[in-house]
Amino acid sequence: MIESAIAQTAIRLVLLGLVIVLIPASYRVVVGETLPDRLQAVDLITTLLIGIIVMLALVEGTEVFVDMAVALAAFAFIGTISIARYISEGRTF
Amino acid sequence: MLIDLLGVVALFFGLFFCAVGVLGVIRMPDSLTRLHASGKVATLGLFGLLLGAALLMPSSSLRLLALGLFVLLTSPVATHAIAASVYRRREIVDELMEMQAEPETPAEPEAPIAVDVTAVLSRSRIQDIIEAQQRALQSHTRDDE
Repeated sequence: MIESAIAQTAIRLVLLGLVIVLIPASYRVVVGETLPDRLQAVDLITTLLIGIIVMLALVEGTEVFVDMAVALAAFAFIGTISIARYISEGRTF
Repeated sequence: MLIDLLGVVALFFGLFFCAVGVLGVIRMPDSLTRLHASGKVATLGLFGLLLGAALLMPSSSLRLLALGLFVLLTSPVATHAIAASVYRRREIVDELMEMQAEPETPAEPEAPIAVDVTAVLSRSRIQDIIEAQQRALQSHTRDDE
């Protein structure tokens, strides 16, 4: 855990800001004009989620959450690549 | 204490770039410019957050470094794949417009191509294609007269 109270408050503020930023990012998923726009917005949300998980690791003081973030990044990469290839070529692999 | 302060500054740096990237994704007019804005979140935003976390929690800095390297490797590849899909879609739409605008093949209002594409194309693009189709039909009939 981090001892200084200022750092704890700042971490919680940044976590709150990241969660608030998720809401306008999901606007593009709902409204997005084309399919690649929605895919790109989902990719953006996953990137923000990785940041949120790292912030949670800071709040809780547990390092295992960082491994969760790595796993989320790997699965998000595979999903984005396969959907993008499905849009452009009509098949995934 | 100084290291904690630096970490907090890095965290807010990352949060600022995350917010700016999301703002760009909402406000930018085009798919490719939106991709440009969301690239900032993946590099500057997430890297600020990871740097701040590594400064505040030095025991997990190796895992955070591995996560940063992984994101640095995969994020440009994913962005490139999305950009390629945007480009390919535009090519498909252009081919369809040319196909519909050709005067040799007078397109019926219920052309099978338009039905196939409905699932993939957005509503505005379909509107464009229908308008081009009607324009082609009008010019064709005018040529006959």
